[in-house]
Amino acid sequence: MPRNQKIVAALFVMAFAALVLPIVKAQTAAPDAAKVIKAAADAMGMPRTGGPGGALLPEVDVINRMEFWGSGTVPAGNGAAAKGDYHVALGYNPPAMRVEVARTNPDAHTIETVRDTYAWNESQIGAGLEPGRGTATPVANAVKARLLQLWILPYGVVKAAYAAGDQTKLSTENGANVLTFPLSGELAGITLKATLDAKNFVTKVETQTDNPALSNLMRTAEYSDYADHGDILTDIKSPGHITIKRGGNTVLDVQIKKWDANNPYLVFPVPQNVRNAAGQESSKVAEK
Amino acid sequence: MSSARYLGLIALAASLCLLPAAGYCQEGEEAPGGAPRMDHSVTVRPQPKGETPRTPDGHVDFTGVWNGMADNLLGVPNQMHNEGIAVENNHSTYDVLTGAKVATWPLARPKRQNNEQSERAATLFRRMGASRPIYKPEYWDMVKELDANANEEDPSNNCMPAGVPRMGSPSYIGQFPNYFIFIYPGQGGLIATQTAYRMIPIDGRKHTPLQDLDGTYNGEGIAHWEGDTLVVDSWGFVTATWFDQLGGYFHSENMHVIERFQRNGNTLTWTATIDDPDVLLEPWTTTPRIQLLNPNPKAMLPESLPCSERDLAHAVTKEHH
Repeated sequence: MPRNQKIVAALFVMAFAALVLPIVKAQTAAPDAAKVIKAAADAMGMPRTGGPGGALLPEVDVINRMEFWGSGTVPAGNGAAAKGDYHVALGYNPPAMRVEVARTNPDAHTIETVRDTYAWNESQIGAGLEPGRGTATPVANAVKARLLQLWILPYGVVKAAYAAGDQTKLSTENGANVLTFPLSGELAGITLKATLDAKNFVTKVETQTDNPALSNLMRTAEYSDYADHGDILTDIKSPGHITIKRGGNTVLDVQIKKWDANNPYLVFPVPQNVRNAAGQESSKVAEK
Repeated sequence: MSSARYLGLIALAASLCLLPAAGYCQEGEEAPGGAPRMDHSVTVRPQPKGETPRTPDGHVDFTGVWNGMADNLLGVPNQMHNEGIAVENNHSTYDVLTGAKVATWPLARPKRQNNEQSERAATLFRRMGASRPIYKPEYWDMVKELDANANEEDPSNNCMPAGVPRMGSPSYIGQFPNYFIFIYPGQGGLIATQTAYRMIPIDGRKHTPLQDLDGTYNGEGIAHWEGDTLVVDSWGFVTATWFDQLGGYFHSENMHVIERFQRNGNTLTWTATIDDPDVLLEPWTTTPRIQLLNPNPKAMLPESLPCSERDLAHAVTKEHH
C-alpha cells in the first residue's frame, strides 16, 4: 500500500474511533451521582425544555408549587395516627408547606404551616392575615420538622441532591441506586438517604443524623404507584401512595386522589403576629 | 481505493461527529428571510449599550420601536423572563425575586417533543416564578380555579382586549411635549395580544374622580416624571380583564395601576404595580421586563394579523396556555 494511502487509512481509523468510542463509553461507564440525580429528575418529568421559542433552552427544573389530596392513615399528634383526609399545598421557592388534616373518630381538623423560618398553626386557611379571619398560632419549634416533610418528598430529594453538589454520594444496595446527601439551612445536620427503583423513581427516603438534638426528626418515607395524577396533565409523575414512619410507627399511609403539579396559585404569607413572635424569640436568643 | 475517496470518508466521519451541534441555531442568528430567530438559549437580557438620548426639554427620550428582541408575547423565553426566571447559560438558572438557584441541565441535543409535550412544558415554565400577587385568603381558591379553567374563564379569549396592565409594555412609544402615544401590536388569534393604543397626557392634569369614570379596559392613564422615570398612573377600569399575562389574576373596579418606564441606552425597563385593596392583601409589582430598542433606524411596526380565535370552543381538556 502506498505511503499516502496508509496515512489516509490511519486517519480514517482515528476518525471512526473518535466517532464510536464516546458512544461505547457512554454505554459502559458506571453511573455517577449527577447522572443518577438527572435520571431521577427525568423519571418524574422535572427537567423540561421547549415551548414556543424555547427549543434552545437548557433543561430546567420546572417544579415549584404543588397541591395534593389523599386519604388513609393521617397524623394525630405526638407520633400517633388516625383515619382521615390529607391535603397538602407546597412550594419550594420559597420553601413552604401547608398540611391540612381532617381526622374522624374523634373528629379533628388541623392546619400546620411553615415558610422559611416560620411555623404556625391556622384555625382556617389563611388565618391571621385579615381581621376576623381566624387565628394563627406561632409554633417556632416546629420549623425543622415541617420543612423536613418538604424535602423528603421525591421532588425535594432531587432538588436537595442537586444542590448538595459533590457532597452527594452514590452507592448501590441490592442492585438499587442509593443517593446520600446532606441537607442545609434549617435542616443542616440531617442527611437523606434516597433509594431509587429500576425506573429511577425515588421509592424510599430515610433521614440520618449524628446530632442527638435532631434525633426526633428521624423518618422513613416510601413512595409508589407513580403516575400523572393531575386534572391538568403536565407529564409530571407523582406518587399514588405515600407512607411515613417515625420510630417504626406509621404516622402517614395515604392513597393519593389528586396531585396538581402545574405550579398552581398557592401562597404562604406569614401573619404579622407570627413574624412578631419569631422576632421576640430571636431577641431572647440574642440576649442569652 | 483512491486517496480522494478516503478523504471523503474522513470528511463524512467528521461531519457525523458534528451532527449534534449542527442541530442548534445560535442565538442572534438570522432565519431565512432576514428576520431574527425567536429561539433563545437564555432568558436574561443583554446589558444596556449606547447613550440615553434626551429631548430638548431635558427629559429622557423614549421614542422608538421597542421590539429589538424580535420576540413575541407567547415566546417561552420571553415569558420566563417576565416571570422572573433567568436562564443564564446551560448550567445556571435563578429566580429574580428570591435569588434561588434552579436545577439546570445542558441540552445534549434538541429534544424531540410533540406539540402536546411542548405546550405542557410551556405551561409549567410560565408559572414557575416565585413572584405572585397575594390575594386575600377568601380569593385563593378562586384565582386557582380561574387559572385552571382558563380555557373558559380567560376574559381575553375570543379576541377581547387584554387591558392595562396585562398588555405589558408597548412596542412603539411616541413622545411629545404634552402626551405620549403607546402602540401594542396584536399578534393575531392569540390570547391577550390584541392590537391596542393609548394616548397618555403629561400636562399636569389630575385624575377624574373614580366615581365619575365609566370603567374602560385601559383605564384613565395620566403620566408624570419622577426624575428620569416616566410614571403612568391609571384607574377607572372595567373588571373584565386579568392583570397579568397568566394566572387568573382578576381585579375589582377599584384597581389602581402605576407603570414605571426607565430607559438606559438601548434598553427599556417596565414594571407595573397593582394596588387593589378590595381583593389583594398588599400591592404587587411585576418582575421588571426589559425590552431592546430596534437597532434599525428605519424599523416599522408590522401590520397586525386579524384576531380570529376558533380553537378554544373545541378544547376537551383543561390543558391551556
